[in-house]
Amino acid sequence: MKRKGMKRKLNETLTAYGFLLPNLLGLTLFVFVPMVYAFYVSLHEWNALSPKVFIGFDNYKEMASDKEWWNSVYRTLIFTVIYVPLLFAGSLFFAVMLNTMRQRFVGVARTMFLLPFAITSVISAVIWMFLYDPRNGFINQFFDLVGLPNQQFLGSTDQALLSIIIVIFWINLGYNMMIFLASIKEIPIDYYEAAKIDGATGWKAFWHITFPLLRPTSIFILVVTTIGSFQVFDQIMVMTKGGPANSTMVSVLYIYKQGFEFLNMGYASALAVVLFLIIFVLSLAQLRLYTKKD
Amino acid sequence: MGKNKTILTIFIFACGLLIILPIFFLVFSSFRTPEDVFKLSLNLSNLTLDNFKAVLETNILRAIWNSLVVSVTVTVVAMLFHAMSGYALARLNFPGKKFVFGWMISTMMVPFTVIMIPLYMVTKNLGLANSYGGLIIPMIFNAYGIFLFRQFYQDFPKELEEAAYVEGLSIAGTFFRLVLPLSKPMIIPLTIGFFTANWNNYLWPLIINQKEELMVVQVALANIVGGGYETAWSIVLAAALLSAIPTFIVFFSMQKYLVDGIKMSGIK
Repeated sequence: MKRKGMKRKLNETLTAYGFLLPNLLGLTLFVFVPMVYAFYVSLHEWNALSPKVFIGFDNYKEMASDKEWWNSVYRTLIFTVIYVPLLFAGSLFFAVMLNTMRQRFVGVARTMFLLPFAITSVISAVIWMFLYDPRNGFINQFFDLVGLPNQQFLGSTDQALLSIIIVIFWINLGYNMMIFLASIKEIPIDYYEAAKIDGATGWKAFWHITFPLLRPTSIFILVVTTIGSFQVFDQIMVMTKGGPANSTMVSVLYIYKQGFEFLNMGYASALAVVLFLIIFVLSLAQLRLYTKKD
Repeated sequence: MGKNKTILTIFIFACGLLIILPIFFLVFSSFRTPEDVFKLSLNLSNLTLDNFKAVLETNILRAIWNSLVVSVTVTVVAMLFHAMSGYALARLNFPGKKFVFGWMISTMMVPFTVIMIPLYMVTKNLGLANSYGGLIIPMIFNAYGIFLFRQFYQDFPKELEEAAYVEGLSIAGTFFRLVLPLSKPMIIPLTIGFFTANWNNYLWPLIINQKEELMVVQVALANIVGGGYETAWSIVLAAALLSAIPTFIVFFSMQKYLVDGIKMSGIK
């Protein structure tokens, strides 16, 4: 009996590792090794063609005085500071609205809000470039109709980043709204009925019941959205390529250009390592901040 | 109260219409002539298929095919690998389980953009640059999928497997013949997620492939629009509409599951 048990155990272990093998290999090769390799390459001067030259921490020293890099970090922060609260408030607002609207129509409303999520990336960028066209675009034509002055949008150093934020907000609003909506539906109705007896309805009920109970979901959305906003690339690459006059040159785009356009692989890797640290610290800080409040 | 609800419902629909307006313009404008494309009117008399004929002469069809090959392969292989791993981590006992799980989850912390340069080097050194392999293989491995499958199998009823063991089925046999076919509630939403994400992937194909024949649809589209001031908008939008069709089909046919998937990813 005991031998049979042993055999079974061995069998289970072998099967388990057999099941895990493809992912263990794949994650090692395509995530873990690149992560370590990024740091290794960052200590070299390397244009991807000639052999690497070890230069210690010189890339990091160079970065310290690279004004363009710190400007791109600053721009990424600006992007985050505008985009994250906007998306958070917007998706929470519409989740609450969808929860209170006539439920017969909620399916159609959901579809409308979610539709942009099917076409992230280049397709959405193309549509909005068409709408934003400064000479003939529909948005400026609409502005003409209501008597507003025409705008340059993506062509203006002041408006380009905001114009891109609107596109990315448009893509992700419905998805995050659905996450909030799913969590709101989990809140027991009794809570609201009890609150009603105490005279708390509407806005008060939201502040004292809904919002506190949504905290785990709120943290999830904040962290994911913040990490996401540090990685925005597709729309900017297509719509402005970082322009005009670098006004939309965010960190990821700067790394991409250093690496794949100027072939400064070592330097670009050093930038990537620092970007990783920034994202890591920010998401840890957010997690701490929101778990501490208890 | 009832009247307020009606007003609210109308307000939401107004916002919803505003949100789908850009998509309406995408569809509508791709059927308009180049002269009409910027006219702010709903003139239906001049609609044409010429834009699509022009699109067919570009490489966009080939690019759509490439994207299909890449997205479908990544999704199918990823579902199989991640379900296997998730099952092992949820249901099997073996030494090192905690470590393996922790290590896999820790790879979720690494954003793609941080490793794109070394990932390019690794993939190139494996001889996979400018090939389907390079477009497909690195995109398969994703701890998020493993994590969600593990969650799913933790709540999976135990009785089925016990009955299978009594019948003399091996662990692997139980998984492939019994458990996997019953995993649809997890496979479907994840399939939507993986397919859509890979269909919309732009950065990785941009880096890893320079070959014209293997260009995926997002890159091809970005190249068409990259022309600058003299963009032929009616043709570009027709190309964009064609490129959006697969994800729209997935979206509309599986919306119910998409919502389930969102619930799964959001809660926890």
